[in-house]
Amino acid sequence: MAYRITDTCNGCGACRRLCPVEAIRGEKNMLHVIDRGLCIECGVCGRVCPVASVKDSFGIVCSLVKKSEWERPRIDTKTCMSCMICIDACPVHCLALSEAAGPDDPHGYPYLEKEKACIGCGFCARECPVDAIAMIGG
Amino acid sequence: MIEELPVKYGYMGKILMVDLSGGVIREEIIPDEVYEKYLSGIGLAAYVLYRDIPAGADPLGPENVLGFVSGLLTGTGSLFSGRWMVAGKSPLTGTWGDANCGGSFSPAIKRCGYDGIFFTGISEKPVYLFVKNGRAELRDASHLWGRDAVESEEMLIAETGGDSRVAVIGPAGEKLSLISGVCNDRGRLAARSGLGAVMGSKRLKAVVLDGRKRIDVHNRTGMKRLSQMCNRWVQFQPPFLPGSLVAYVGTLMRVLPTQMAMDGLLYKILLKKWGTGSMNQMSVEMGDAPIKNWKGSNVDWKIERSMSVNPDAIKRYEKVKYHCYSCPLGCGGICSLKGKYGETHKPEYETVLALGGLCMNADVERIFHINEMLNRAGMDTISAGGTIAFAIECYEAGVLTKEDTGGLELTWGNAEAIVALIEKMIKREGIGDILADGSKVAARRIGKDAGKLAMHAGGQELPMHDGRNDPGFNVHYSVEATPGRHTIGSQMYYEMFQLWKVVKGLPRVKPLYFKDRKYVAGQEKAAMAAASSKFMNVVNGAGLCLFGSFLGARRIPVFDWLNAATGWRKTPEEYMAIGKRIQTLKQAFNVKQKVDLRSLRPPDRVLGRPSQTEGANRGRTVQLEKMIEDYYGQFGWDARTGVPTEQSMAALGIHGGERGV
Repeated sequence: MAYRITDTCNGCGACRRLCPVEAIRGEKNMLHVIDRGLCIECGVCGRVCPVASVKDSFGIVCSLVKKSEWERPRIDTKTCMSCMICIDACPVHCLALSEAAGPDDPHGYPYLEKEKACIGCGFCARECPVDAIAMIGG
Repeated sequence: MIEELPVKYGYMGKILMVDLSGGVIREEIIPDEVYEKYLSGIGLAAYVLYRDIPAGADPLGPENVLGFVSGLLTGTGSLFSGRWMVAGKSPLTGTWGDANCGGSFSPAIKRCGYDGIFFTGISEKPVYLFVKNGRAELRDASHLWGRDAVESEEMLIAETGGDSRVAVIGPAGEKLSLISGVCNDRGRLAARSGLGAVMGSKRLKAVVLDGRKRIDVHNRTGMKRLSQMCNRWVQFQPPFLPGSLVAYVGTLMRVLPTQMAMDGLLYKILLKKWGTGSMNQMSVEMGDAPIKNWKGSNVDWKIERSMSVNPDAIKRYEKVKYHCYSCPLGCGGICSLKGKYGETHKPEYETVLALGGLCMNADVERIFHINEMLNRAGMDTISAGGTIAFAIECYEAGVLTKEDTGGLELTWGNAEAIVALIEKMIKREGIGDILADGSKVAARRIGKDAGKLAMHAGGQELPMHDGRNDPGFNVHYSVEATPGRHTIGSQMYYEMFQLWKVVKGLPRVKPLYFKDRKYVAGQEKAAMAAASSKFMNVVNGAGLCLFGSFLGARRIPVFDWLNAATGWRKTPEEYMAIGKRIQTLKQAFNVKQKVDLRSLRPPDRVLGRPSQTEGANRGRTVQLEKMIEDYYGQFGWDARTGVPTEQSMAALGIHGGERGV
């Protein structure tokens, strides 16, 4: 399963620049294509496309969302078990582990280190085994 | 460009094959039935290595195949599933070799789209493999050759964009030390079997992965439900004794004539609080830890003497807990360290005992320092400690002289001399060059009667668990395809696995029993040992952690996770049969390589022949021969030679030696 760019693409390159796995190719102002073997269905191409030219894996046209309104992970450290799964799941590596929380709690916890890099894909929340991450709209 | 494959659940369905001689990289699609027969991880490695390594291959030659494999459960939302494995023909033992490590490298293999990456051939110049976004390439590593593992890892991460995961060798592997391992996550080591030397022989400095692929699972909600159940047990953490008193629990276990079946939940509490270092003193007291190159005992290594390494003393250095990928427990720690390195991974129990009690060394600061030295060099702390203890006893016996050691006073507990000796071993200077390949090779080089003082099984230094206390260790040191391995089974491990609660037909363990029962050989014990081997093949096929498995089969849902991740509907008994198949294929690997299977056993001292006259294990002797024969019988192998019979192979569907299914 993969996302697809339709022939209404204007070749602006917004999706290509943000794709975390370099799955999108295309010359400026020319039709872009998504490599189905590389696409991880993070959906960022659809969220940034200004001309609604991206269809998701189900064939549904994605709508443009303003970057300030993208969902961001909120991590509940009380539920979190510091298992690092979210940090690994993030395709843009925007999560990091904190220092030890304090003298009584020697664990580090994940936090959104590079907020600007986050593409709002929600993979961290999806993979968290104990549902300690909620995706909250901007 | 990669062609799109049908969606796989749990596994990726492909491996990467890299021929270093020709610089050719290709993908191989692995049929679904291979996963159903061998899982992934160690089973996949056994399948490929048995097929591709020709009989009689030189472990350090181009024909050896070195595999880096992830686990079937890695990245599926299961817990404790961050273990990756390196496998090949071991140059240390000449047998099947594997080593296993945590950290963050295991999911990186799958996120590149592969279940394993296999190397053959020998590169002309030092190289590293870099995989990112569907592209794999060999890059020059000349600038890294000679640098330590941590430094190399940091440089590799920086030069590949900042987000890579790295498995790398240090100078020990480059210099083909037969006790070298493969390092990841700044000083964690897949240490055993000497596979760092195989990597060095191929001039492969590192495997660098920046994968971001999704790992699909069949039933993610089901996975989460199972993981949450498991996590509740992990987070159950009642208060426990202070570290300085933990040793006395071991004392109590020693003096009582009876033993309670061990529940892994207790060990989990210790691990979560202190890590494996919780056992630093307790193990000595109960007779589990070998002292003074296996000739001493708790009498030589009293609680007062080892107080410097009590669990709280180690924990004092800990800055933050370290969790491997997908681990809710976090037995590791990052510790502060005086001197140029600044920090080190918390020394494990094995390290503290191998460089401590085994060498009669209680200098905790130097143990921390040695730990970091060996991690950076990429040398196995167990084998290094075992080899040094051997050298000290040689020195004591006059087999090695001060002239031989280059002026080092190799006396018991001389921490300064031990540090100097390790430096020499890493650099292969003088006496260090003689010792850098482990005690078996060193004994051959030294000659005289040194061989009698080398405590190894099949060439591999024995770990810090005394088979005179738990004879199950001696059995597994002898019968596993990679000898001298402590992470597969023992009588206590079987108690903690609690497999009889979910697998039909396995013997139950009595909650309380007389200790002398442990030393009586019998079919029931053989069935327990065989079940442990089979189960650990499933665990290592899944990429799970041994310590997680100690929680017990009802609390860590290994089989249910496998079904939820893949969509299979296999019973626990069917998974145990897969474990049996993997064990048999590894044994067949050794047969193909013409290993004398009966030679893979610990020396008489370790078997209590003669038995010790004082300490926790006094008067104890292990009936090893009978226990080995019974074990082989459980698998349907020839009881005398250990060779799998044609019938046992055929019954498991291992046809024609799996030369391609």
